[in-house]
Amino acid sequence: MDRSNSFEEQLGALLPRLRRFAHALSGDAADADDLTQGTVERALRSSAQWQPGTRLDSWTYRIMRNLWIDTARARSRKVKMEAPPEEAEGVGEDPRASMDAALDLKRMMAAMERLPDEQREVVALILIEGFGYREVCEMLDLPMGTVSSRLVRGRTRLLAMVGEQ
Amino acid sequence: MTIEDEKFFAWLDGELPPDEAAQVQAEVAKSPELTRATEQHRALQARLKGAFDTVAESPVPEGLRPRAKVIDFAAAKRARARGHWESPAQWAAMAATLALGIFAGTMMSPGSRGPVEVHGGKLYAAAALNHALDTELASAPGNAPVRVGLTFRDSSGALCRTFTDPQSSGVACRDGLRWQLRGLFAAPEGQGGAYRMAGGMDPNLAALVDSTMSGDPLNAAQEKAARARGWK
Repeated sequence: MDRSNSFEEQLGALLPRLRRFAHALSGDAADADDLTQGTVERALRSSAQWQPGTRLDSWTYRIMRNLWIDTARARSRKVKMEAPPEEAEGVGEDPRASMDAALDLKRMMAAMERLPDEQREVVALILIEGFGYREVCEMLDLPMGTVSSRLVRGRTRLLAMVGEQ
Repeated sequence: MTIEDEKFFAWLDGELPPDEAAQVQAEVAKSPELTRATEQHRALQARLKGAFDTVAESPVPEGLRPRAKVIDFAAAKRARARGHWESPAQWAAMAATLALGIFAGTMMSPGSRGPVEVHGGKLYAAAALNHALDTELASAPGNAPVRVGLTFRDSSGALCRTFTDPQSSGVACRDGLRWQLRGLFAAPEGQGGAYRMAGGMDPNLAALVDSTMSGDPLNAAQEKAARARGWK
């Protein structure tokens, strides 16, 4: 009969994954939860456009990614003016530091943040979220060659940043 | 590397067909450099995934949960009048809750007259739409192709009703013995019938209802009584 509850329930079930993706994209926990909230709002508003029987996760990830692009544009201008560049250079340089998960998350978020946007989203979707190459091509409307070359560059760069710890 | 990077990583990610994967596997086994790259990148992914999985494993902050709020359109309207109803989340929640009164109908029967007619420059409900507005109760939906959602009064005291059919949704208010259309919104392209209705009220319609409604919407008993009085 009424399906709006089940849409919300399905969306709710995706939240842990959506938050994980948001953390990989935004580099800041507060921004990540803002992004998650914005995504949920946008998904609820556009729920009529989701075709039942298709994957809700890909559809919602795509909303999040587009929303992130919209807000990241505005934010990048702000960050350039506010953040001293050397702050980012200190990412995980102390090899004796604890591998405590929370600390490592911070480091990984900082490292991800230093990737160019187009590499970061591909790394997040494939290496963290576990989507296949083909699924990511569809989600981002990109050809296979572009996705795989961005993935190569992104993960190579990431390894150079954090690999030897 | 002796293999091109894209191919090496496609192998690492399990994206190659079996025969190509076997070739790469053999190359990697021969090359200390590739073997080391394999180990490093596997470790990198494990660490990356492990770090971000802590987010997915931690409790979701309560404020992020999408929820279907209980229908309280009037309270939301009052809150907004006080300037406290600006968030799109509240709009979305409102649209979702309004849809609770609107159920999926069957397709309009082909060959029936159009649902709208023009008199003296005004648009009025006709045929199945007019019939549904006259007879349907949101509190007791039947099998009509048009479903009625909210019934409320506008600032002039005229009764208004929202409706949804497979192609459109809108609001009509009583003008004499007719239902004059105040707004009609087409369903998004490619989204007919039940699927669309599940998504909730069209945000345009929700905004129009909000600006038209005066006071609280009618409850089930009031709706029934209004029908008995001929929607006066």
